[in-house]
Amino acid sequence: MFKKINLKNKTALVTGAGKGLGKACAIALAEAGAKVIIVSRTLSDLTKVEKIIKKTKGSCLKFECDVTDLNKFKSILNKIKKLDILVNNAGNNRPEHFTKVKKKNMEYLVELNMKAAFNVAQLCSRKMVELKNRKKIGGSIINMSSQLGRVGAPIRSVYNMTKFGLEGLTRGMALELSKSNIRVNSVCPTFVETPMVKAFFKNKKFKKEVLENIPLGRVAQENDVSTAVAFLAANSSNSITGTSLMVDGGWTAK
Amino acid sequence: MTKFLKDINLKGKFALITGATKGIGRSTAVAMHQVGASIIAIGRNKSELSSLKKKLKTRIQCFQCDVRDYQNISKIIKNIKKIDILVNNAGTNLPEPFLNVKKSSLEMLLEVNIKAAFNVAKLCTDKMLKLKNRKKIGGSIIHTSSMFGLVGGPNRTVYSMSKFGIEGLTKGMAVDLATHNIRVNSVCPTFVATPRAKKYLADKEFSKYALNNIPLGRIATESDVATAITFLSSNAASMITGTNIIIDGGWTAK
Repeated sequence: MFKKINLKNKTALVTGAGKGLGKACAIALAEAGAKVIIVSRTLSDLTKVEKIIKKTKGSCLKFECDVTDLNKFKSILNKIKKLDILVNNAGNNRPEHFTKVKKKNMEYLVELNMKAAFNVAQLCSRKMVELKNRKKIGGSIINMSSQLGRVGAPIRSVYNMTKFGLEGLTRGMALELSKSNIRVNSVCPTFVETPMVKAFFKNKKFKKEVLENIPLGRVAQENDVSTAVAFLAANSSNSITGTSLMVDGGWTAK
Repeated sequence: MTKFLKDINLKGKFALITGATKGIGRSTAVAMHQVGASIIAIGRNKSELSSLKKKLKTRIQCFQCDVRDYQNISKIIKNIKKIDILVNNAGTNLPEPFLNVKKSSLEMLLEVNIKAAFNVAKLCTDKMLKLKNRKKIGGSIIHTSSMFGLVGGPNRTVYSMSKFGIEGLTKGMAVDLATHNIRVNSVCPTFVATPRAKKYLADKEFSKYALNNIPLGRIATESDVATAITFLSSNAASMITGTNIIIDGGWTAK
C-alpha cells in the first residue's frame, strides 16, 4: 500500500523552498521520487537545498524568484515541461497588536499570503490542466495554511485573515478543479521549529504560552509537516480534496 | 528506504481493530500488517475472521466478539499483552427518514456507534497506559467516523448524531490523553465501496445522489481509508491529534 507514496515521474513545484517548511517539503518530495522545482527569493538558500537533494540522488531545479513578481513566476512555468504537484508554501508573518498593525505590514501580508498564493495557484493549475491525460493521472495542490487559519490568536489578526482566506481558497479551488482530478488541500500546522518561529521563541513568555496551548506539549518539527504534505501529494490521498490536515498537536481540539 | 517511508513502519506495534472482518476494518488490518504491525482482529463473524487469519498468516490474533458485549470485550482486551494502536471501527447504519426512525433503530445505533465505541476506546486506553514507557513510544487511536460526522444527509439523522458524537469524543480524548503521548484522531470518509455501502449504491437514484455530491465524481475505495488510518497510526503523524482526515472527494468542501 505504501508504494502509493511514490512520486516517481511526478514534477512538484515548491514555493518558499529556501528555508523552513518549504525546504523540508522539497526534500521529502524528492525523497519520495519527485522531480522538484524549488522557488525562493534567496539564491544562496536554494543552492543549499539543491545540494541536500542531489546528495540523495534526487532531482531538482532551482529558480530565484519572489512570488509576488507574477511575470517572473510565469517565466518559470514556461521553462518547465509539466507540473503535477504544487506546494503553495511561500508566506510570512508580522505579528502586531490589531490596534497597532501598520498599513504597510497589512498590505505586505495580504500581497504575499493571499494575492501571490492565489496567483501561483492559478498559474500552476493552468499549467497542470494543459496535460492531456491530467484527468487520468491526477494532480495535487497543497496550500500551506496554519492552525491560525482555523482559530484566532493574539497579535495575529492579519495572519489570521490571510490564512482563513487560504482555507476558503482551498475549498473553492477543490470544487472547480475536481473535474480535472486535481485535488486541493491545505495543511494547518501549529508552531513549527522553523527559523521564523525560532525567532519568536526568543521571547520565553511567548514560548511558554505556546507550549501550554499544545496538548502534546511540544512544538511541531519541519518533518511532521513535510510528511503530511507528501501524504497529500501522493496517490495515498486519492479521495481527499477540499479539506485541511491539522498538524497541531491538539491545539484546535480544545 | 526514505526517512519518510520509515516513518510509516509499524514493526513491533500491536494494533487492535474492531469490525475487522469486512470493509474498512478488514482493509486496514491488511494495510497495517503490510507495514509490519501485529493485528488483533475483533469481529462477529467466525468464518470471516478465519479467512482474514488465513490471508495474513503471521502476526494475527482473532477474537470473535460483538463489541456491544461488554463482558466479553473487556475480557479479551484484558488478556492481550499489549496495545499500541486502536482502530475503533465497528459501526453500523440503519437509514430511515427522521419522522419514521424506529425506537429500536435509534437504540441499536447508539449502542454500537456510541456506547460500544466509547467502551472499547476506554478499555484499550487503560491497556495502553499499562505500558511504563508509553509516553516515550506514544500510542494512536483512530475512530472510524464519517463525513456525516460533519454534515447531515437524508435518512441519516441517527447516524449523523452518532458520528458527530464520535467527532466530539475524538477531541475530548485527544486533550485528555495528550499528556501520555497517545494521539486520538478520526477519519471521515464519504461513501466507500464497502459491502454495506454497495447495497445502498445498488439503488440507481441513491448512486446518482452520492456521485452528484462528490466533486471528484467517484466513491472512495476501502484502500483510500485504510491508507489514511495507517498514516495516522504511525510516527509520520506524530504531531497530529484531536482532528480528522476527511476522505470525502470534496463532499464537505461545498
